[in-house]
Amino acid sequence: MRNALLIAVREFLDNTQTRGFWFGILLVPLLWLMASQVPLILARKGTPTRHLALIDATAGEHLFDVVLHHLKTAESRRELFHFREWVAPRLKSGQALPAADKQPQAWSKLQEDLGPLMKVDAGRFAPPAPLNRLVALPPELEWRGHLSEFEGRLRDWMREERLFKPVGVDEEVPLFAVAILQDGPSSNAPPILRFWSANQADTQLQDRIVDALSRNFRSREYTRLGMDPSTIAQVEGSQAQLMSFNPRKAEGEEQVGMADLLRQWAPSAFVYLLWIAVFSISQMLLNSLIEERSNRILEVLLSSVTPLELMTGKLVGVAAVGAVMTLGWIGSLVLMTFWTLHTAGAAALAADSIANRLPLELATLLLDSWLLPAFVLYFLLGYLFYAAVILALGSTCNNLKEAQNFTGVIALLMMVPLVSIAFIPKDPNGPVATVLSWIPPYTPFVMMNRVAANPPLREVIGTLVLLLLSDVAVLWGCARIFRTAVLRTGQPASLVQLARWVLGRD
Amino acid sequence: MLAALELRHVSKSFGRFHAVQDLSLSVPAGSVYGFLGPNGAGKTTSLRMILGMLSPDSGELSVLGSPSAMSVRNRVGYLPEEKGLYRKMTATSVIAYFATLKGLSSARANQRARELLGRYGLGAFADKKVETLSKGMGQKVQVLASIAHDPELVLFDEPFSGLDPVNQEVLEEILIDLKARGCTILFSTHVMSHAERLCDRLIILGGGRGLFEGTVSEARSLLPIRITLETAEASPTLEILPGVHSMEAQSSNLWRLELEPGASASAVLEACFERSLRLRCFDVQDPDLHEVFVHLVGPSAREAALR
Repeated sequence: MRNALLIAVREFLDNTQTRGFWFGILLVPLLWLMASQVPLILARKGTPTRHLALIDATAGEHLFDVVLHHLKTAESRRELFHFREWVAPRLKSGQALPAADKQPQAWSKLQEDLGPLMKVDAGRFAPPAPLNRLVALPPELEWRGHLSEFEGRLRDWMREERLFKPVGVDEEVPLFAVAILQDGPSSNAPPILRFWSANQADTQLQDRIVDALSRNFRSREYTRLGMDPSTIAQVEGSQAQLMSFNPRKAEGEEQVGMADLLRQWAPSAFVYLLWIAVFSISQMLLNSLIEERSNRILEVLLSSVTPLELMTGKLVGVAAVGAVMTLGWIGSLVLMTFWTLHTAGAAALAADSIANRLPLELATLLLDSWLLPAFVLYFLLGYLFYAAVILALGSTCNNLKEAQNFTGVIALLMMVPLVSIAFIPKDPNGPVATVLSWIPPYTPFVMMNRVAANPPLREVIGTLVLLLLSDVAVLWGCARIFRTAVLRTGQPASLVQLARWVLGRD
Repeated sequence: MLAALELRHVSKSFGRFHAVQDLSLSVPAGSVYGFLGPNGAGKTTSLRMILGMLSPDSGELSVLGSPSAMSVRNRVGYLPEEKGLYRKMTATSVIAYFATLKGLSSARANQRARELLGRYGLGAFADKKVETLSKGMGQKVQVLASIAHDPELVLFDEPFSGLDPVNQEVLEEILIDLKARGCTILFSTHVMSHAERLCDRLIILGGGRGLFEGTVSEARSLLPIRITLETAEASPTLEILPGVHSMEAQSSNLWRLELEPGASASAVLEACFERSLRLRCFDVQDPDLHEVFVHLVGPSAREAALR
């Protein structure tokens, strides 16, 4: 036992004392952080200001003002969004941000109004750089009333990717786009937008202009047909209200909220974590065994320890590595959650948006459910199954190349639970989920995924017992293979030979 | 003298291949015992059986008085033929690790590791990772790892292979030190000069069988003594010299004599004087272990190599 422990400790230290291991642990919260923060950062700073020239070539439609107003409104909304984000953590304790007004106001006025509610050292809000800025055309592109002639000059100018200094701008900038507004083919047809831009990927600007023109045209048509545009806008804005109920919940609490959705989908995230953990630490185990085998260290080890002690030590050591890895992931997610809570502040939570309530719901779910205990249990049982098989097969191979023939098959088998992650929550107690649950190598992943759907108790216990028995059988068989194969040299064993070793015929 | 290790009629087969057949040997406690044989003679299989990694099909073993090496494993040290270490560990930690597996406490193992590295010229590399050491240094570290727990019996499988002459001398020094403190050493080798210099007793294996077991001088006595003899006068009568088995004339006054087993070179010299032969040269060539080895295993080894 002492020797098994010594081997486990060395195995643990060998795997955890590498930069790659800690980088792998940091990667998950880093990805989480990036997924939650990068869109915000990009929204604020990522997109440079787009400079747009607008030409209204319509016959007295005054669409220029329509588009200008629409773009200004969109810009004000964006500024307000950033202002709310800036205000939330700077409010005095116990103060909540008033509900958002549908009609955007200037943030400077808002800051004055909110002054008494805010902390003394709140400072002053700096608005983000505008997303779009309307500018006058450079002199050489002056609009002379002839479309084809203008577009010929424009094309040449834009092809040269020239910079110019628009009025009111301190630096030379590229012209992102030129929008030419034209009448439709008939008096009752909507106008045409001729949008010239070398950037075809960023469509937000052309979408906004099309939206402005469409709204204006529809409003004009409603009026022409004797309908009130404001009434129609009001009617179009209405939407049926969804109230979802789950009969399995306690009486009076049947209504489904975000917590329920989280509870339903969080196990899938844990299955994914479980899969990565089992897969990656099985690889660690294989690499370590192959290193010892190809360096002939195994022979020295086996003069000091029994094959069973060696196998136990390796299994325990690498399991500890996996435990640290998954604890690192879960811990960092919990820390990130609380960090988000802390930075958002209680005031932001009061706003009751999904994004704001998510961390709290997630924390509650992690600390107050069967999710974590189930994860630990299925991690251990799943790991033991795969690790024993990997150790037995690895012990018959002289190098990683030989081992890859085996690991390729195992990786293919492990793809089944990975593929099932997405569809099992949709029918967690259906026939496919039930059948997969009773196949021991898949039990940990599938049952973990079904945790939220309260599968029948007999299935939970039955599959667990079957998995336990399979683990014992696999460990026993693999220990027999390991004991025989570990000192053997030459070709990797055939399946028949493996079977003979398990049965003790060689 | 008590035997530290005994094998009695031990056999081991793998399928239809008989790796070791009816092998018997006895290694006296405190001695250096040579385990000689060509490739495929059954040396490594025998060592693995002694260590308890393989079970013999038949026969008996006694390792430090125990029928299984596993029960006395902390008193045995082992260096395998193909050497390897954990490349990412330091020299000290790798020696200490193997010593802890042999029962030493972590503190004592570290202390022993540093002590040994210092004593055998690797003190400056104690905290270097194994992957930064030269091949020879790595092998020395592995030798030290096999003796750090002060074993009573050490089994070295080809300890000299891959070492340069300087490091071979260091290894000899280690073996001599071990012997001096009463440790029993069994080592296999292809290099006969090492066996001649170091072994008290040896066994020569061939085709899985023990072909000879005894001391180095007993081994040498298996082959006749040769004498190169040169006289001042041409064609003297030499047939009458005692104990001469055969003679071959190299020229009219130069002969190569081969003595009968057990015959003495001094008796021949005495007879030469008695017969008033005017000797210019009387050169006695004792057979060396290399010749004995080739004589014993040559035919079977050549057959095996050609197969």
